[in-house]
Amino acid sequence: MNYPAGKLQRIVIVLCCLLLYGCHAIPEKKETKVDTPASLPVPRQESNNVVSMLDKSPMDIIYFPWEYPKLKMMGKIKTQPVFRVIYSRPQKNGREVFGAIVKYGEPWRLGANEGTEIEFFEDVTIQETKVRKGRYLLYCIPRPTDWTLIMNSDLYSWGLRINAKKDVFKFTVPTMPTDKTIEAFTMETEKTKEGALLWMAWDDTKVSLAIKTMDQ
Amino acid sequence: MKKSIFIALACLLTLSVTAQGKWTPLDNSPMDMIYFPMDYPILKIRKQAPEMPGIKIIYSRPQKKNRKVFGELVEYGAVWRLGANEATELNLFKDLRIANTKIKKGRYTMYAIPFKDKWTIIINKDNDVWGSFAYDEKKDIVRTDVKTGKNEEPVEAFTMMFEKADFGANLLITWEDVKVALPFYF
Repeated sequence: MNYPAGKLQRIVIVLCCLLLYGCHAIPEKKETKVDTPASLPVPRQESNNVVSMLDKSPMDIIYFPWEYPKLKMMGKIKTQPVFRVIYSRPQKNGREVFGAIVKYGEPWRLGANEGTEIEFFEDVTIQETKVRKGRYLLYCIPRPTDWTLIMNSDLYSWGLRINAKKDVFKFTVPTMPTDKTIEAFTMETEKTKEGALLWMAWDDTKVSLAIKTMDQ
Repeated sequence: MKKSIFIALACLLTLSVTAQGKWTPLDNSPMDMIYFPMDYPILKIRKQAPEMPGIKIIYSRPQKKNRKVFGELVEYGAVWRLGANEATELNLFKDLRIANTKIKKGRYTMYAIPFKDKWTIIINKDNDVWGSFAYDEKKDIVRTDVKTGKNEEPVEAFTMMFEKADFGANLLITWEDVKVALPFYF
């Protein structure tokens, strides 16, 4: 079949355009961000002479049962703890927190520095989902009316780069206003009939995650 | 009976912090964490870290605040929690050796008995404990002596760091004008 030269030319042009458009339409593979030294925290020197300073956002640890190590010391408890959280405690320092230094809709390490770690010493149930005992990285996507709390298996990581591919569990909880402004980001545990509440509070916002324990 | 005391206590402690809206204040002796390799979490996001860390220590950092530390605030010859608040926690991510003892990977508690010229370092298997008040010698895994050295400048906050060594790592522990090094072989 012979096409007139002009027609053939048009077809070729259309094909080329389609091809180009097609290439363009393929979603570009997101390149892994190349970390420049300036954008990431710098490790301390491994040196005898460098004496570590106290951290501005000090680390803290909470247990359920609340104050477990003290209860154990007092001989009031013989069983192992149910869970604990290791987190860092940034302070408000006169700043607007949610929607400002902690952005809505973006992952937040629930603290500062290293990613927050939650460790369950037994299997628990959260929002009808069984959560196996073990350690998880815990982070959050805050929004004005609710927070999504995410447990992730990429442990021992600094909190600025969260590998969402390793998310294991997600739980959404509503936000509540606090009675007064809370200066330092705070986590606490509280006993309930069904197990525990894990409280998180900062500035004027608090949330709680209900955790059902086995013996309930 | 015991359970009811515990529940009463737990409620009391919880109520005292949540019901009155008094959220936990920052601690005077803040907690801190060190890894071997040092700053493993930072190395990890810079893609410069091995797949797993080797060692992690969680400890609290009391400050000197013009007090005489060793021999007074921290008594010679008595078991000390190597910090403040909860006893210091040692996480091993692989089997290794301290002094002549092989230790399996896992979670342990560390104490020290300081003397003027040496410290006895203790690794114990009773975890999640407060202080050294309920310390049980029967649960010791390792007891080893390390010599004390002197700092030129006094160190204000109790500090631990890891240093790479030919044989594995040295845990450097320092406060006031005293320093010690505990070798981990792996």
